[in-house]
Amino acid sequence: MHIQDGYLSTSVCLATGAVSLGAVGYSLHRMKDLLGERTVPLTGMMGSLIFAGQMVNFPIGLPVSGHLMGGVLAAAILGPWAGCVAVTLVLVAQWALFSDGGLLALGANVLHMAVLGSIGGYAVMTTVRKLLGGRFRGAVAGSVVAAWLAVLAASAMFCLEFRLSYAVSDFDFGNIFTLMVTLHALIGVGEAIITGFVVSVIYQQRPDLIDMAQPVDSTVASSASRFAAAGLVCALAVAAFAAPFASTLPDGLDSVAEQFRIAASAESTSGLFTNYDQIPIAGWQKLSVSVAGIGGSLAVFAAAVLIGRAIPMNAPVIATEATGE
Amino acid sequence: MSDFWDRYGRSVSICHRLPPVLKLALAVSVIVTGVAIPVRYWPAYGVLGCLVFAGHSIAGIPLGYLIKRLLIFLPFVSSMAISLPLSQGLDRGWDLMLQIMFRGCLAFLVSLWLVNVMPFEQLLVTLRKLKVPAVVVAILAFMYRYVFVVWDELDKMRTARKARSFSGGSLWFRWRTLSQMIGMLLIRSLNRAERIHGAMCSRGWDGEVRWLDDQD
Repeated sequence: MHIQDGYLSTSVCLATGAVSLGAVGYSLHRMKDLLGERTVPLTGMMGSLIFAGQMVNFPIGLPVSGHLMGGVLAAAILGPWAGCVAVTLVLVAQWALFSDGGLLALGANVLHMAVLGSIGGYAVMTTVRKLLGGRFRGAVAGSVVAAWLAVLAASAMFCLEFRLSYAVSDFDFGNIFTLMVTLHALIGVGEAIITGFVVSVIYQQRPDLIDMAQPVDSTVASSASRFAAAGLVCALAVAAFAAPFASTLPDGLDSVAEQFRIAASAESTSGLFTNYDQIPIAGWQKLSVSVAGIGGSLAVFAAAVLIGRAIPMNAPVIATEATGE
Repeated sequence: MSDFWDRYGRSVSICHRLPPVLKLALAVSVIVTGVAIPVRYWPAYGVLGCLVFAGHSIAGIPLGYLIKRLLIFLPFVSSMAISLPLSQGLDRGWDLMLQIMFRGCLAFLVSLWLVNVMPFEQLLVTLRKLKVPAVVVAILAFMYRYVFVVWDELDKMRTARKARSFSGGSLWFRWRTLSQMIGMLLIRSLNRAERIHGAMCSRGWDGEVRWLDDQD
């Protein structure tokens, strides 16, 4: 899931790094508004939890298994700003302890998982919650939808960055996009289900945690900017599905790519095949993306309904174990 | 498990004794060079590769250890890189795939070297020296301190689950149970964070991070 060094060109890494630095800097600035002097213990503990929670492997019936990513979950408990910082620091620690994810690519990873995941995910989550109105159902459905859209938006963003990193003729953009989006529509359903379950458990035990992070009565000004952020995430997700149909998009990106491109892959600029007709697997492209889009949306909708039903609101509260420090 | 990646972090060698900022700068510059130079200049890659292996052998990190970690890393980098030739019907794109894999492995080995010659607490002090905001370093330190506690707690929950012969069931049921485990872990962790916060407050915590200037 993490981007390693070597996938993206240096200039793209620097550009994403700059965007992430700005977003994380602003998050640091805003973080204390919500948490006050509890910032360090709460954010740090959330980071440890995401770190540990990723060790829990979810079976998917195949030899491979999935795990939690946690951007939306962190935002659901801590709010967008502290959530973004927590996920960023998890990524830093994963690099520093496990060599997981590249050092140069850290900016891109932070952009995808912390900025899009927590800040974008929070915007989607609160918007859905407001639309649905209900406290429990709204919170669960919001987190399910946000988790799925955040994963899709991240995959679309990665494709864009990858596209800007290499020469036009080195690969077929449409096909890469298809592969990535189809794969991530599935990964996103897993993330959505896990996030939905975890949020529903927390809402039963400690509804105050979620209601504090997502105030139901927010002001108009903040809801406008939130709406804009939610729109951005949705637009990226829609772009993920629409891109293979819009054949002008890769061509439009060519000029941008030419400007960003460094000499890294200059050895193969003799554009031989640039239209889709010559590629044998072009036929399944649109079909597969449509199936991924429709199937994914249906699965996420079903998950939102089922998770809301699976655990009734008046479930007995399980006493949490009180251990001394 | 906890020393799987930084097993040699506390051993002694010339590499371990280098100033921490220099280690970080060395690693960053090798990674940047590896990603930035065009593949046409392949001798430069050979030189970089030799440099990385020399660094590992000076630091006393055995080859078998490197190969084992590389084997874990390779599926990740190759599954992404294989999509390049796959996107063009397998007749082109192999050179770009090899390029990405080689660069990825090079950067991974450099990161692994850094992890093994620079323990996490040394990284924290270095970040502090590089003027990273105090609150970031404090959260990282807190996270590093408590991640092992949370891991232990998770292990206990897993043991309890196994002792009650948790197995089978439908996929949906298993996902629900595992998610509830994460949810319970989260609530326990946050309760713990609140208790720690109370303990910090009683020792005069006011949200401001203070560091000793002369720590090294």
